[in-house]
Amino acid sequence: MKKGSLYAVFYAATLGIICALALTAVDGFTASRKAANARAEEVRNILTVLDVGFDSAATSSELLAVYERDVRTESRGELTFYTYEHPEVGKLSSVRFDGPGLWGPIEGLLCLREDMTTIHAVSFYRHEETPGLGGEISSDAFQDQFRGVSILGPSGVPGVGVVGDGADEPNEVDAISGATMTCDKVEEMLNRIIEEVRAGGGFDG
Amino acid sequence: MADRGSPACVGCAPGTGPCGGKGMETLRSGVWITNPVAVQVLGICSALAVTNRLENSLVMGVALVFVGVGTNLFVSLLRNVTPRRIRMIAEVAIIATFVIVFDQILKAYYWEMSKQLGPYVGLIITNCIIMGRAEAFALSNRPLVSMVDGLGNGLGYAVVLAIIGFFRELVGTGSILGHQVLLSEWYTPNQLAVLAPGAFVALGFLIAIFNALTRANQTDEMGSQ
Repeated sequence: MKKGSLYAVFYAATLGIICALALTAVDGFTASRKAANARAEEVRNILTVLDVGFDSAATSSELLAVYERDVRTESRGELTFYTYEHPEVGKLSSVRFDGPGLWGPIEGLLCLREDMTTIHAVSFYRHEETPGLGGEISSDAFQDQFRGVSILGPSGVPGVGVVGDGADEPNEVDAISGATMTCDKVEEMLNRIIEEVRAGGGFDG
Repeated sequence: MADRGSPACVGCAPGTGPCGGKGMETLRSGVWITNPVAVQVLGICSALAVTNRLENSLVMGVALVFVGVGTNLFVSLLRNVTPRRIRMIAEVAIIATFVIVFDQILKAYYWEMSKQLGPYVGLIITNCIIMGRAEAFALSNRPLVSMVDGLGNGLGYAVVLAIIGFFRELVGTGSILGHQVLLSEWYTPNQLAVLAPGAFVALGFLIAIFNALTRANQTDEMGSQ
């Protein structure tokens, strides 16, 4: 068999098409389960930031059941809030935020207490930051700093600070050493969502 | 190693049987004599990265067996029609297909594990063991014995990962497959084992033991290396 360039091109194209067809078939076969898993992951993030108790080994359908029982969604302005009546701290409202990080997009949830000025929790559930440096934004140590932090500065100006020289105001948390860029971007996206919450979402409902 | 002549497989006369009499030798070579990780020191990146828990190591081992067997089968089946110039492109296409299929199945049916293994399942595409076996063995051998070779090397990788994963999880967290086996009253987990340096230390010991047992990499048996 002559194996000239034309044959090589034909062979590569045929192999490529067969591989692509195989992958398309597998993707179609697994699509519904992958979508269910992605939805469960989303629900898990919301339940976590709202402090709704759930079994950590719960299956996708169990998580969805807990979510549908305890969590309400409310549209205020252009924002969608996920709310939960917490038995100890009262009504909690959480809202999604996102923005560019240093290496890729960062997505998270901001959860506010009933007064809509005190942060109950912050979670960065998706990011591509450097492991060990910027990646630490999703660590409990960093995220837990936000608990009880105000979204208003001492003079009443909305906004939080992720600062490198020691957090001493009620609206400040400590930045991560070696991850200044990531922390700046995190501060920026938090302040943008806080501004949106103040501007409409959080106060007319 | 495939060309070194072929002692008879147990039960098969030399040169006969479905594997041409090379089945047992090929399997033994992959798992033990020329173990891809412990002797050839290939596929180290993933072997170091995912072995902090035994469960991760086992799933990664299964992935490598699946991809190794599938790739070797198809590379071998197509060996007489694949143009030599683009054979590596063809091999990578076949490897990538198997890896993505495994990754998709993991994402659909074993979501938590898929998140833990992160990019390492996808990175099997660039694993030198798979590419190496396709090039060195499947291109010049028949399909069945090529599958045995993929199985042997996949198992060789899986066994090494399982051993490292077992000890790292045991020392690092005091548990096996998530079950606490060393009681916290008298055992303090050594975090070093689950961190990256622990992987290097564990692999180093394992390679030393493997070399001592198989006497591989010794000049009098294998020629200078």
